[in-house]
Amino acid sequence: MQYAVEHGPVFAWLRVLLAPGDVLQAEAGSMVTRTPGVQMDTRLNAGRRAGFFRFIVAFFVALARKLFGGETMFVNEFSAPGGGEVVVAPSLSGHIIGKQLGGGRRLFVQRGSYLASTGDVDTRVRFTGLRTLLGGEGLVLLECSGDGEVFVNSYGGITEVPVDGTFVVDTGHVVAFDGTLDFQVGSVGGLKSLLFSGEGLVCKFRGRGTLYVQSRNLGALVDWISPLLSG
Amino acid sequence: MQFELRYQPAHTLAIVHLSPGEAIRAEASSMISMTSGLAVSTDGPLARGRGGLLRGMGRAMLGGESFFTNTFTAVGGAGHVTLAPALCGDLLVHDVRPGEDLLIQGSSYVAAPDTVTLDTQWQGMKGFFSGESLFFLRATGDGPVLLNAFGAIQTIDLDGELIVDTGHLVAFTSGIQYRVTTASPGLIASWLSGEGFVLSVTGKGRLYLQTRNPSEYGVAVGSSLPPREA
Repeated sequence: MQYAVEHGPVFAWLRVLLAPGDVLQAEAGSMVTRTPGVQMDTRLNAGRRAGFFRFIVAFFVALARKLFGGETMFVNEFSAPGGGEVVVAPSLSGHIIGKQLGGGRRLFVQRGSYLASTGDVDTRVRFTGLRTLLGGEGLVLLECSGDGEVFVNSYGGITEVPVDGTFVVDTGHVVAFDGTLDFQVGSVGGLKSLLFSGEGLVCKFRGRGTLYVQSRNLGALVDWISPLLSG
Repeated sequence: MQFELRYQPAHTLAIVHLSPGEAIRAEASSMISMTSGLAVSTDGPLARGRGGLLRGMGRAMLGGESFFTNTFTAVGGAGHVTLAPALCGDLLVHDVRPGEDLLIQGSSYVAAPDTVTLDTQWQGMKGFFSGESLFFLRATGDGPVLLNAFGAIQTIDLDGELIVDTGHLVAFTSGIQYRVTTASPGLIASWLSGEGFVLSVTGKGRLYLQTRNPSEYGVAVGSSLPPREA
């Protein structure tokens, strides 16, 4: 599968050339164009080898999130028996990078940063708390594993941080990180700093691996706009 | 008349250089600055060349074009006016020629001289229900049209068929036919897929796409905003 990231780093989109047999799984609603020979199938993102129980749980969570206006948990699979091309783009301004998985390596991707992945990559939703289920703050992660390429998008630019030891990032700036890193969501200091530092929740990483950080934060944009809205 | 584009593609600004006697008609509130020698007149839909009240209202309500437009005329000597859209993104200039019209997604139109006429193209009921502003402005005549895009612009010289998300379409020449269709064969699958309605475009001509979708951006940001108080 050949691909190109174009119009980056401000307004990047991903162009993928599908050979017969190739499958691209992409975030619902991300398609820009496709050639006539490309088929699109919509699937619940419960993980490729999900059991019946997990499928049912994922189904109700997906339905709730779709109805309450959160991000969907549906993905579209593009394939082209006779070859073709599909272009996908994220919603916010920013860049796209591709990351090769294989050899048991996993990548955790912040839910809003997942754009697409190739057919042999398994993506499973991981909740880090009950509140995230209802669309509140926190970290909803997609665990990506298998052999293939994962494409993540950022709001703003992407900084690649090689972590060896510990590293702290605002949860709103986390794009993705290697499965070799342990993480814990908490406040930057005590209760006082949680309330007054303006930093909210942070993600504390420990171990050795690569971390991808975005230069803008959707939550910060929302906080900036909200008080300006009149009734 | 010359167009100079700066700060591409993130926050593009258009500088329209006018020779003595030349005029450009621009969407209301798109003007940033102008030289003092320009005469400005604000026209409602009744103005000459705008096709009368009903057509003007049709364009404003259906086509996404503003109800009032400002015309900048270089009366004394030469002058220039700078124009920019509200959102971040690129601008482009397309030359409309006699016999080859340009169909413009309503909110993408910025400015054109009087040698170019705009009219609304009715999309049928499917366009009405698609949720996106699927009313095209048809630009006919002979002259340049200034368009804006949300994101960067991809120019495609089409010869064949392509399926395009309606929110990413900026404009296309009249040699291209389009058909509004669901993204998947079924309605429920189309809704779940998040793609809703798409356009199937066929034929030969030029197609301009924008790399971001304004309504998707609105959903991404807007779904986190507090509800408006009644």
